[in-house]
Amino acid sequence: MAEQTAISPRRAVQNQVLLEARGISKGFPGVWEHLILDHIDFDVRAGEVHSLLGENGAGKTVIANILSGYYGKTAGEIRVKGKAVSFTSPREGLAHGIAMVHQELMLVPAFTVAQNVMVGLKAPNLSFHLQQVEKKLDELTAHYGLQVDPRARVEDLSAGEQQRVEILKVLFHEPEVLLLDEPTSLLTPQEADQLFVVLRGMADEGKGIVFITHKMREVFAVSDRVTVLKLGKMQGTCYISETTEDELTRRTFGETVPDYMERPPVKFKENALEVQHLVPKGLEDKANTAGLSFALHKGEILGLAGVAGNGQSELIECITGLRPAAKGEILILDRNMTDCLPRAFIELGVAHIPERRREVGMVEQMFVAENVVLKDYRTPPFSNHTVLNHKEITRHTEAIVTRFNALVPDLWKTECRILSGGNIQRLILGRETWRKPPVIIASHPTEGLDAKAIRHTWELFLELRENGSGILLISEDLDEIMSLSDRIGVIFESAIVGMVEGKGADREQLGHWMAGGHSPAATA
Amino acid sequence: MELAHVWGILFISLHAMVPITLAAIGETIEESAGLFNIGLEGILLLSALTGALGAEASGSATIGLLAGMGTGALIGLLFGVINTYLKGSQLITGVGINLFAFGFVALLLILLGAPGFHSVPRDAQIQLIPLGVGSLSPLVFVTVILAIAVWWLLNRTQLGLKIKAVGENPAAADVAGIRVNALRVGTAIAAGMLAGLAGAYLSVDWFGAVTKEITAGRGFIALATVVFSGLNPLLALLGGFIFGFFDGFATWISTYPGIKKIIPWQFVAMAPYVVTLLVVAGAIGRVRFPKGLGVPYLRE
Repeated sequence: MAEQTAISPRRAVQNQVLLEARGISKGFPGVWEHLILDHIDFDVRAGEVHSLLGENGAGKTVIANILSGYYGKTAGEIRVKGKAVSFTSPREGLAHGIAMVHQELMLVPAFTVAQNVMVGLKAPNLSFHLQQVEKKLDELTAHYGLQVDPRARVEDLSAGEQQRVEILKVLFHEPEVLLLDEPTSLLTPQEADQLFVVLRGMADEGKGIVFITHKMREVFAVSDRVTVLKLGKMQGTCYISETTEDELTRRTFGETVPDYMERPPVKFKENALEVQHLVPKGLEDKANTAGLSFALHKGEILGLAGVAGNGQSELIECITGLRPAAKGEILILDRNMTDCLPRAFIELGVAHIPERRREVGMVEQMFVAENVVLKDYRTPPFSNHTVLNHKEITRHTEAIVTRFNALVPDLWKTECRILSGGNIQRLILGRETWRKPPVIIASHPTEGLDAKAIRHTWELFLELRENGSGILLISEDLDEIMSLSDRIGVIFESAIVGMVEGKGADREQLGHWMAGGHSPAATA
Repeated sequence: MELAHVWGILFISLHAMVPITLAAIGETIEESAGLFNIGLEGILLLSALTGALGAEASGSATIGLLAGMGTGALIGLLFGVINTYLKGSQLITGVGINLFAFGFVALLLILLGAPGFHSVPRDAQIQLIPLGVGSLSPLVFVTVILAIAVWWLLNRTQLGLKIKAVGENPAAADVAGIRVNALRVGTAIAAGMLAGLAGAYLSVDWFGAVTKEITAGRGFIALATVVFSGLNPLLALLGGFIFGFFDGFATWISTYPGIKKIIPWQFVAMAPYVVTLLVVAGAIGRVRFPKGLGVPYLRE
C-alpha cells in the first residue's frame, strides 16, 4: 500500500477530505455471524476520483449505500469534512452534499427526464416549473456533455441514456461527493469513455467522486486512488500511479481463469437435445424459413455464441417449454417435446439456468429454502406429494448453500430479493444441477460470479459432462464459450451460421460469424 | 315525459354523484401514492354517523361536515401509519375498517335508542341553493371544484409529481430525498378527509338521517370509479355522475306511476350497480396503475 504523503500533480491542489468512513461494519441482523463489511476505512477528497474495486459480493455497493444514507450501519463512524454525522435516509445524505447514482436505475419510467429531475427538487409544493428545469437540463447536458433530451419519457430511452439521466438528476442537488455504483454496467465501451471524461471534469471542479467497478480497465482509465475490497474486507488503498494492474488483480481476485479447460473426448453418441428447423413463435417474420437446427450430444458441451437479440432467448424459451414453436420440432432424449408444457420438460430432466435470474430464476419474495426446492417440492423426499418435509428441505438447502459457497443469512428467513446476483446464481446452479440432469440449458451461467466461483462452476460442468449430461451453453462472453465448449455454434438472426470444434477455435472466425458473415466452412 | 322530470332526474343524479366522486378523488390521491384503501365504505358509514351526531349536537351543518371529515382523517391516519411505518397489509386493514364500521354504527344506533334510523334536525341540515327549476346542495359545486383542484394538484404541481413518484417507484423517490412513508400517510389522511366529507354529506345533507345501510355500497362504487377513471379525478367526476344518473333514474322510475307496476322497484334499484360493473369491466386492462400500488416500501 502506498504512503499517502507521496505527491502527485493532481492531488497537491485540492485535498480536503470531504467524506470519511472509519471502521464501518455491517452485518445481517440476528442469525448470521458473517459481516458483509468488516471495519472499512475509506475516504474521498475534493478533486479526486477514488475507485472502489472488488468482485461481486465484495461489499462495494453496501458501503456506498451506507455512505449515502440509504442503508444503516452496524458499527463505525461517518465524517463529512471532519465532522461526525449520522444519516438515516438518502435525504439526509443529500443535505450533507452526498449523492449516489445507484446501479439499478432509480427512475420513474412513466415520467419524462425533466419530471424525474423535478421530483427531487426542493421546491414549494404548489409550484411547477417544468420549463425552467428543462432549460437548466439543456444547460447541464451541454456543460458536462451528457447528451439527453429532457422532454423524452424515460421508458423510451436506451440504458445508456437512462444512466445519464441518473447522473443529471443528482447533479441538480449540487453534491460535493458523488458515489457511482457500477455506472458503466449498462454502457458500451464508447459511452463509458465519455462518462470518464465527465467524471474527470467534475473532479476538476472540486467534487469528490467515488467510482465503483469490478473492471480493471476502468480503474486505470479514470481514478486517482483505488481501494480494493474482497468479501467485505479491506485489501488496501493506494494511488493509481503507484500500483500495477498485476498487483490489483492479485489483490482483487486472488487467481485467474484458464483459457481452455482440458477434457477427454465426448464418450456418448446419443442425442440429448435435437432441434429441427425450429422457428419460435413470434419470430415468424424475422427468422429465415429453414429455421434453426442443431443437435447436442450426451456428455457434450455445446457453446452457442452470438450477439444478444439474435433469437437466443426465444430458442431457450422453446426448448424449455416456455414458448410454443411456430414451426419445427424439438426432440429431447429422442422424444418429441414440441409444444409440451414446462413441467413436462422439467420432469424429463431439462435443467434451465436462465439469463434473467431474478425474474425467471427465482421467486424473489420467497425464502432461500423455498427457492431451492422450487422444482423438486412435489416429490419425495421433499414432500409426500401433499405436505412439505421441512427437515429434508432444510438439509438439502444447507448442502447446496455449502457446496456452492452461497452467502445467505438464513434459509427460512431470508427473502431472495436481498441476495446479491452472484449468490442468487449460486443457488440456481445448485438447484438445477444437483440431480445431474441429462440436459442443461445454461444462459450466462457464471455472470456475476467471482473468479473462484467461475472456476468451480466450470469444473462442475465438466464433471456433469463426464456423467453424460448434455450442456447447451449460451453466452455473449466468448471467453467462457471458448474455455468450456466441445463444439461452438454461432447463432445469427435465429439460425446457426457456423459450427466449429471448441479446442483451437478461431476467435476472429467466430466474431465474423457473429457479425452476420457466412462461411462455406459452416458445418454442423 | 315533462321537462320537470328531466330536471328532477338531473338534480337527483347530481346529488347522487357527490359522495361517489368525493370518495373516488380521495382514493385517487392515495392510490397515486401507492396506497389502496378498500375501507372507503367503512369511512363513509362512520363519518355519516359522526357527521349526523356533530350536526345535531352543535345545531350546525358545517360542524357536522367537519366532524365527518375529522373522522375520515383519523381513520386515514391510522390506515396510513399501519401500512407504511408498520408495514401492514393494506387489504386486511381496509377490510378491518369496513367490518368495524358495520358493527360500530349498528351498535351506536341501538344505543341511541333508534335502531336502524336516526334523523338529523331540519335546521342542522345543509341549506339547498334554490335554482328556479329545483334546488341543489352547495356540495355539488364543491365536488366539481375539488375534482378539478385534485386533477391540478396531481398533474400540475411539484407535490403531485412527488406523490406519483412515491407510487411508481418509492425507491427512486427515497433516493431523491422524498420522505416516502410520511408522504403516503399524508395522502391517506387527505383521502380519509374526502371520504369523511362524502359520508357526512349523506346524513347531514342528502338524506337528513343516518341508517346503518345509508352508504348502500357507495364506498365500493367509488373504488370501482377509481379503476374506471384510471386515477384521473376528472374522469372520476364523470364516473360519479354516471352512477348518480342511474341511481337517480332508478329512484324516479320506482316512484313514477304506471311504470312502477310493470317493473318491480327492486329490479330498477339494481341498475346502478350493474352499470358500474359493466363500465369497470370494460375499463380493466386498459388502465395503468402505479407500479408500487399496494406494496409497503422497505429500504433494505
